[in-house]
Amino acid sequence: MVIFGVLRSGLYSLTSVGLALSVGVIGIVNFAHGEFLMLGAYLGYWLFVSYGVDPLLAIPIGAAVLFALGGVVYRVSIQRVLHAPELNQMLLTFGISIFLQNLAVILWTGDPRTAAVSYKARAIALGPFTVGFPQLVVFGLAMALTLGLYAVLGGSRIGKAMRAVAQSRLGASLLGIEVDRIYLLAFGLSTALAGTAGLMITLQLSTSPFIGLLYTLKAFSIIVIAGLGNINGVIYASLVLGLSEAFVEFYVPQGGGWAEGVFFVLILLVLMVRPRGLFR
Amino acid sequence: MAAVVLLVMIILPVWASRAQPYYLQVALNVLIFAVLALSWDLLARTGQLSLAHAAFYGLGGYTTTLLTTRAGVPIAAGILAGGIVAVVAAIALGMLTLRLRGIYFAIATLAFSETLRVITKQLRFTGGSAGLVAPPLLGGSLPAQYAVILGILLLAVLTSWQVSRSRWRYAFTAIRTNEEVAAVMGVNVVRFKVLAFAISAFFAGVTGAYYAHVFLFINPFEAYSLAVSVGALVAPIFGGLYTTIGPLLGATALRVGEEALRSTVRSGSQILYGLILAVVILYMPRGLLGVWASMVSRRARRAPGASTKGAS
Repeated sequence: MVIFGVLRSGLYSLTSVGLALSVGVIGIVNFAHGEFLMLGAYLGYWLFVSYGVDPLLAIPIGAAVLFALGGVVYRVSIQRVLHAPELNQMLLTFGISIFLQNLAVILWTGDPRTAAVSYKARAIALGPFTVGFPQLVVFGLAMALTLGLYAVLGGSRIGKAMRAVAQSRLGASLLGIEVDRIYLLAFGLSTALAGTAGLMITLQLSTSPFIGLLYTLKAFSIIVIAGLGNINGVIYASLVLGLSEAFVEFYVPQGGGWAEGVFFVLILLVLMVRPRGLFR
Repeated sequence: MAAVVLLVMIILPVWASRAQPYYLQVALNVLIFAVLALSWDLLARTGQLSLAHAAFYGLGGYTTTLLTTRAGVPIAAGILAGGIVAVVAAIALGMLTLRLRGIYFAIATLAFSETLRVITKQLRFTGGSAGLVAPPLLGGSLPAQYAVILGILLLAVLTSWQVSRSRWRYAFTAIRTNEEVAAVMGVNVVRFKVLAFAISAFFAGVTGAYYAHVFLFINPFEAYSLAVSVGALVAPIFGGLYTTIGPLLGATALRVGEEALRSTVRSGSQILYGLILAVVILYMPRGLLGVWASMVSRRARRAPGASTKGAS
């Protein structure tokens, strides 16, 4: 059970770290985050079905496409509400989310699509446990990407610039950092990460236009657990969610369904007990 | 002005139904939507932008269905019970989310709605994902059902209008603008926030119950559908927040637009809501009424400008 939880949390941290980036650097909770993930998943499906490209190999393409898409969305809409009340920002991204969700329904119908990759059912023995091969690969890749992101944020110039902007918009601009460009980059990066996570999901599960919302909510719960804007805490927070869900799935009768409600309970708990987050 | 709109809403469909019963059906849907919009707007006046409307809607629907089919309760009582259950849930949720603001509140309410859906889907008691069948209201007679929803709508309109005329309006606005300051000024913030939630949920619950008895069937996917919450949210924002006419206008325009879109696109007509919401936030934050108001004021500015130039 623990292994399940840990594996799941790998994917969760990838899906959430993009949102954490958006919240931390730009200050926008992107309600449509899950929809970018969904678009990434569909892209992966399409590439696999049309050209036989393995979703994992398609990651660079997916990331680039979603980055560009995020940039466009940012320029067209989000940039305009940066200085508007927070509620306006939330409503805007919510509207974008509904728009993208239904666009997907119109374009691709509401039926779920699965990419049946050849090694989908393969399992590997890890000590006394058998683990699904795709799950393991996804976990590894997701963790690698998340840690890679941390490295970039910590080491590179752009990463440091982003962290500066996250800490203080005014201070960063006084230092000569082009805040607008950083915002654009951060948002694009955030959507690229979401899309990448989506590609990985194609590998494991089927995709439909509606998966976005659930991932948005879970990502939100993870960043709440970590503390809003706390990008480093996302890994730990993902572990919390992943393990809690696994726990419920295994030890509660008919747990599979109930596990989907875990994130909500966690949100409430954290907001009531330690609103600044568990890992500040 | 509101009276004219209402009169139109009452007379037009009755006349139209002589020509095409479909129009009456559409009008009925519009009215359902209008009640939801009005009730959402009421809650929004306290600054609480909830995404839980679907939860109360669904609770109302399920309560009445369960009561009328399993306990032999008469339909009217069932609908009322639906409203009451929604109120209880709202009070609970309201108390839980008192400290949450803005997006936290929205997400918590959304998560509440989604979780309710998951639970309903899981339990066999509520019919699982297959849903439940409900007995028809007033023998399935469309005009009679239309009269009922019209009555509910009138009640909602009166409530909305009355709140904006009474002293509650100041309390709501104060809370919406700044809770801490409102509290310092002596406004009982908790009482009003929860009260607004309860009233809003009552209408949502009653409407959900009504829906169950008119469409004869509920399932977790539709009753707790995000579409309900989204619609309840976009309509007042599109029409003009914190007013009585605004939600009515928004609800009518959106619902009619969606029906029109549905003839071209099989599903996904919801896209209209997303698009309108984004457009409104970006380009017309005060909604249709705001556009109207700015047009009127522009015309007013031009007229005195001409005469004062001559006078001075």
